Amino acid sequence: MLRISGLSVAYAGLHALEDVSLEVNEGEFVTIVGPNGAGKTTLLKAISGSVRAAAGRLDFRSRDMTPLPAHERAALGIAHVPEGRRVFPSLTVLENLELGSYRSAARERRAEGLAAVLALFPALAARRRQLAGSLSGGEQQMLALGRGLMAAPDLLLLDEPSQGLAPRIVEQIFETIGRIRRERRLTVLLVEQRVVEALELCDRGYVLETGRVVLAGAHDALLADPRVQRAYLGV
Amino acid sequence: MTARGRSWLGIAGIIAIGLALSLVITERYHQRILTLVFLWAAMGLAWNIISGYAGQISFGHQAFFGIGAYVTVLLAAKLGITPWLGMLAGALVAVLAALLIGTPTFRLAGIYFGLATLAYPLIFRIVMDYLGYQEVAIPMVRDRPALFMQFTEPRSFDLLALALLAATLVLSRLIEGSRLGYSLRAIKENEQAALAMGVDAFRCKMAAYALSAAPAALAGAIYSHAILFVVTPEAVFGVLVIVQTLVVCLVGGVGTLWGPVIGAAIMIPVSEILDSTVGDRLPGIQGVVYGAALMVIMMFAPEGLFWRIGRGRASATAPAAVATAAAPIETDAEPAPTTKGAVVLEVRSVSKAFLGLQALTDVTFDVRDGEILGIIGPNGAGKTTLFNVLNGFLLPERGEIRWQGEPITGLSPHLVCRRGIGRTFQVVRFFPHLTVLENVMVGAFAHGGTPAAATARARDALTRVGLAERAAVTPSGLTTLDLRLMELARCLATAPRLVLLDEPLAGLSADGVEIMSAMIRRGRQAGVTVVIIEHTIQALVKIADRLVVLDQGRRLAEGLPGDVTRNPAVIEAYLGQRWLARHATAHAADLRP
Amino acid sequence: MVASELAQYVVTGLLVGGVYALMSIGLALIFGVMRVVNFAQGDFMMLGMYLTYYYAIALNVDPLLGALFALPPFFVLGLLVHRAFLARVTGGGDPNREMDAQLILTLGLSLVITNATTMILSPMPRGINAPYASKAFALGPLLLNQARSYSFLMALLLAAAVYVLLTRTDLGRALRAAADDPEAAGYQGINVRAMHGIAFGIGIALVAAAGGLLATYHPIEPNVAVNFIVLMFVAVVLGGLGSIPGAFVGGLVIGLVQSLTLLLLPLQLQNVGVFVTFLIVLYVRPQGLFGRRARAV
Repeated sequence: MLRISGLSVAYAGLHALEDVSLEVNEGEFVTIVGPNGAGKTTLLKAISGSVRAAAGRLDFRSRDMTPLPAHERAALGIAHVPEGRRVFPSLTVLENLELGSYRSAARERRAEGLAAVLALFPALAARRRQLAGSLSGGEQQMLALGRGLMAAPDLLLLDEPSQGLAPRIVEQIFETIGRIRRERRLTVLLVEQRVVEALELCDRGYVLETGRVVLAGAHDALLADPRVQRAYLGV
Repeated sequence: MTARGRSWLGIAGIIAIGLALSLVITERYHQRILTLVFLWAAMGLAWNIISGYAGQISFGHQAFFGIGAYVTVLLAAKLGITPWLGMLAGALVAVLAALLIGTPTFRLAGIYFGLATLAYPLIFRIVMDYLGYQEVAIPMVRDRPALFMQFTEPRSFDLLALALLAATLVLSRLIEGSRLGYSLRAIKENEQAALAMGVDAFRCKMAAYALSAAPAALAGAIYSHAILFVVTPEAVFGVLVIVQTLVVCLVGGVGTLWGPVIGAAIMIPVSEILDSTVGDRLPGIQGVVYGAALMVIMMFAPEGLFWRIGRGRASATAPAAVATAAAPIETDAEPAPTTKGAVVLEVRSVSKAFLGLQALTDVTFDVRDGEILGIIGPNGAGKTTLFNVLNGFLLPERGEIRWQGEPITGLSPHLVCRRGIGRTFQVVRFFPHLTVLENVMVGAFAHGGTPAAATARARDALTRVGLAERAAVTPSGLTTLDLRLMELARCLATAPRLVLLDEPLAGLSADGVEIMSAMIRRGRQAGVTVVIIEHTIQALVKIADRLVVLDQGRRLAEGLPGDVTRNPAVIEAYLGQRWLARHATAHAADLRP
Repeated sequence: MVASELAQYVVTGLLVGGVYALMSIGLALIFGVMRVVNFAQGDFMMLGMYLTYYYAIALNVDPLLGALFALPPFFVLGLLVHRAFLARVTGGGDPNREMDAQLILTLGLSLVITNATTMILSPMPRGINAPYASKAFALGPLLLNQARSYSFLMALLLAAAVYVLLTRTDLGRALRAAADDPEAAGYQGINVRAMHGIAFGIGIALVAAAGGLLATYHPIEPNVAVNFIVLMFVAVVLGGLGSIPGAFVGGLVIGLVQSLTLLLLPLQLQNVGVFVTFLIVLYVRPQGLFGRRARAV
């Protein structure tokens, strides 16, 4: 479904990504782990189009989408749930969700999408008229996830959904992600620092270190591989 | 010839050309245009001091122009005081007004400053109307015209305006070369970074504002005698005054001596000639030309003609060498890691929260003299917040920081820097129009001194990081590594005893990491204590003597690098408790026969 | 002082303030979505006054209606101006530089519009002779000028329409999302650049309509813009840069301050009260009455 070949990204002269190639197949759950600053977030931004590729090519459903701007990639069915939630703080919960279905393919099915998301996150249903900026971190994460699902995406990009959340909430978020994946047969690309939780959820994983893919493999192989730890701690 | 020499020669050249034109031109109308060119160039240079060098865009600079005009003319009309003295009084009043206006207004940042400055000339204008000074004519003094600046020979006004232009050029040149000038350009680029380099931003801005008010007031005084004869609020406090000022600066280029001169030399004759030829049939043609000039310049050359042309020339002749990194360094003999130095920095129970989010909780550690201390931690651990607390950007809610035994908690950043704590930033902020050497000089002025002494300190710092050969180039063409080295040199030039380095290795190639690490070690050998934040732990393990691990704002571990990276709590923080559990059992399984 | 006199000043101030509020909403919308302080806002207002004037002269359209008819052409004009000029200005990725560049671009645009209008239409002031301009409603002891009252009501109506647009339609939500977080808006499939154009178009259309309403009781001349742009800035800063409800309230407050200043100071000093209020607000609460956090350095 998604094929990235030879992707490089540079910010202000810094090489954030260098020659990254990876694939995500239809219906697959792929995880990218790696330490801080490895370029995980940049990779997702390059896929959703908010950073430009300096070199390389991105294909979505065998179509070259490298030149497309972010909003056109979203229209193709790629939903990005960004790092730090990035909900629209001055809009209500309901308005945030409605904007999730802004792309025309999702707009037609807004009502059913909304019902499904609110069923998935009852906490949001109770706060639908509240401003998103007034929600707690965990609720904002649910809202960001819900907003992503409202797009009825073909590919869901999740960036650090556990960041800055209490362990109990993290557990809940991961459980929900697992459930979404089982129920909707969604294709998911997850970026996460929590190695075990993320790898247990996925089919395959990649390990990113200083802008390069250093390891790749099935989830159980990576879970057993001590080299993953080396990517984080050097030992 | 040095760049310094060249700019004085340039000023001499402008004065010589000005003099020659004043002598050659005999037609009254052309003489008037020449006067206007000189006056608007001077006014532009005045604005350039605060808005060009310091980057504080003032939309109300005509306030000082008008004060100069009104004070001079009122003193002559009401008290019979000669305008030669009157304009000095006008300049003095303008400086006082600048200090009064600046004190509250410089507390506002960015766009708010510009919007606030809009209000002052409007208020002056309304007040002048109200006081009955809608029209103040210059009193005719037939018997002593020269004493009352009433020359019959228009050439005299050319020379007077040229003298003001020359004085403003000299003033601007002196500012450029002084500590103030370097500080202002640092503030423009990044006020936070400037503070961290020991710049007292508020005082520098006030000084620049006051210095820019004086020539503006003199320009207003001369303008009313040479051109107006009758001073009205609209003519001296009106929009057209600031528009002409902005036009000459922005068209020519801001932040340089030459921009306003170039802008005035082009725009003033064009608009005057249009006004006199078609102005009768098309009232407002001047405004259309100025407006169109502003639009065109913003769309196609927002940096102004001087920089556009200058940059084109610079890139054509740029040395090919900029692509490579600093010269290879012989690896210095590594002394045994110092872990027994005296404690120089004590961090005690520091806590800091933002909007209810606890960024640092009860963080305590020591930094010892001569060591390299690494601070690591996963995303959101509070590393940069810690630096911001240490160098005075943020005030902690609780806790204390002691530097060489004295508390420095709550000290403002420029004072922390002057006590000997330097810092660098994650993203290098350089000053694109200054050379590498001049960039480093901003830091070298931290402890005052003459420009010559600062130059020497800056050269020394560049040599220490192996960047001496790049001293004369502008930083735009440098590699990331060279930029980082330049920033390190700028920090070292503040003569610190301790440096706080924020991710100096991020995004560097393997070779780059080697070079940067060597430079950091070399700094330590010269007696500088180093604290580094990094997330690339592998590199840090090689250069740090000790590591402090932060996680979710708390100190998780502290110790020798080898021990810390094997510490279960650290592994848990980075890879999660379940990774630890899994691999601990895996290890245990390996041990079984 | 008699209470009824004070009430008269308050009512007069509010009536004028309603039109200020409508102008300021346009400016606030443009700033909120685009982060551009539009110096030319007053000039589009002035053009709106002229269009309404010509509607009245040539087609005999009542200016209250003419103000409404100013909306579509000025929306299109706004789109074009954005496409032709503002969209081309970038600060090389530095938002502060970009802001300064766009500010100066709109200042240039303002000069061109004012002076070109002077050139083409002459600086002579004109006026629309609306039949209700010199009549007043009596409300107990209070007198409400009819032109101002109708303008006030129309301004409220338009402001309400903007409110509905922004909160009840996908376009409105997309505009607000683009203002809140342009990057995340892109992830939802919102074309942020197009939103900038639309925000500029709506902002210009609103201020032109406000100009049309103003024309029922205010003389029309090319340099009328200068006085009003500052009032709009004050209203918008007062309400918090970019906040639309804030700008609305800010506009009403400016009308009140102008009117009440007359109780203390002579007519010539009317706007001193406004500017002093402006400076006080900037110093005391730069984020405005309703503002989000002030922009960092």
